[in-house]
Amino acid sequence: MMRVFMEKMVEYLSWALALLLCLSVSVFLSYLLIKGLPSLGSELVFGKADPLSALLGRERVFDGIFPAIIGTLCLVVLSTLMALPLGICSGVYLSEYATPIMKKVVGGLFDVLAGIPSIVVGLYGFSVAIFLHHHFSDRLGPCLLISAISLGVLVLPYIVRSTQTSLEELPAHIRHTATALGATRLQNIAYVLIPNALSGISSGVILAIGRCAEDTAVILLTGVVATAGVPSSLLSQYEALPFYIFYISSQYTSPAELSNGYGACLVLLGICSVLFMVAHGMQKRLFHWALYRP
Amino acid sequence: MPTEKKEKIILDSVDFFYGTRQVLCDISATFYSHTLTAITGPSGQGKSTLLGLLNCMWKEIPDTRCSGDIQIFLGGQWISPFRKDISLSHLRRKVAMIFQEPNPLPMSIGKNMAFPLKLAGVRDKYLIEEKVRRALEQAFLWKEVKDRLEESALNLSGGQKQRLCIARALILEPEILLCDEPTSSLDSKAAGIIEELLVSLKENCTLLVVSHYLDQVRRIGDLVMTLENEGLTNFKEGLS
Repeated sequence: MMRVFMEKMVEYLSWALALLLCLSVSVFLSYLLIKGLPSLGSELVFGKADPLSALLGRERVFDGIFPAIIGTLCLVVLSTLMALPLGICSGVYLSEYATPIMKKVVGGLFDVLAGIPSIVVGLYGFSVAIFLHHHFSDRLGPCLLISAISLGVLVLPYIVRSTQTSLEELPAHIRHTATALGATRLQNIAYVLIPNALSGISSGVILAIGRCAEDTAVILLTGVVATAGVPSSLLSQYEALPFYIFYISSQYTSPAELSNGYGACLVLLGICSVLFMVAHGMQKRLFHWALYRP
Repeated sequence: MPTEKKEKIILDSVDFFYGTRQVLCDISATFYSHTLTAITGPSGQGKSTLLGLLNCMWKEIPDTRCSGDIQIFLGGQWISPFRKDISLSHLRRKVAMIFQEPNPLPMSIGKNMAFPLKLAGVRDKYLIEEKVRRALEQAFLWKEVKDRLEESALNLSGGQKQRLCIARALILEPEILLCDEPTSSLDSKAAGIIEELLVSLKENCTLLVVSHYLDQVRRIGDLVMTLENEGLTNFKEGLS
């Protein structure tokens, strides 16, 4: 009797907690929509500038979030591109080549890296920028490139661990099939293991993209500023949406400004959703291309 | 039994260990060319392990070791996989293996078939198409899949998947085919087709087939060997 009661209790509790989670997300999104929707529009993005001229780079946007959107996109793309090859190669090493001791040592180091607070990574990036400024060129300093490298370091463990785990979880029959057909270890990794682990690897990439888009602490110390316009080069300072949201919500002078902050939140959520969908679509296409192309 | 028996594989005092657990002890045996040797015996005696020794698949399993000697007559000469007379890739192309569970890769049927050729560096499209067709015909599968080579191999039935795996192994024209309980996951009809297929392959290669089914062993085996436990492992010719 007690066992049946416990079984039912656990089932209902699980349902209740899942429902609570869904409700929390719905309340949160509704709140953002109610607060942010009124400010959404071309004025939020382009300010008083003409949208077409701004998009074509003919007119600078001073009071809109367009430069911050471009800065965020640049950051996400750059840092993901930097972290991706390094992360996948490290994951392959840990899964396929590393001895048990090396797995523990190197894997442990990546776990430590994953646990480092982002502000510490930001501080390290800042120190590197200052070092470069003092020893190499006055032009070097906190900039888009330093931010992207710092963010790349921050998200590296996600990609490493997701690659390692998804490779290690591949069933033995997939793992041994190519080997039994005469594949070398490298051929097995390139032609069979990685294509079959793409779905797991892309989960890590999606997490990394989300982290790159939202992290404020790292960019705060490595190059983001309140007004810089659209970044003109990798060595220039830039604007970014998370920083804009932080800045406007802590320094607003009118309800309209705060509403702009909520609008920027919605834009950031939209950008993340689009990036997730692109990553998911690319993973599907890549998987199909790798395994089913004639 | 073939009238003229040419030695193809010679095992000499082979021992095998998973960690500290000894699975095979002092195994000596001879297998003959163009003969289907059925290997039977109770579970856990090392039948699959014995097959894995011949194409060195055991090297893919961590913490294993092997001693003794194995000689295989490949490409007109005796080689020993233990002494690295031959690269692992080349050895596995010539000593192919069929697993208990059909294991087509999650790719199209055509790509599955062309995969071993790709690994071997064959790039000629027409040659690949010709070899794919011939291997599928050899495995009695061509008529069933010739119009659906672009479909996923995972959509095939169990028996078709296993025939695909056999065809895929045959595409590199192996001299020895190792089959580890190739019909155990199939229904009797599909198993019958596979049995017929294996017997037909004797013309071109030497077959070692592990099976639990004594009636199957009697039906298809030219030679039957039993691997059984008597304290340690003992290897006998003929049914026990």
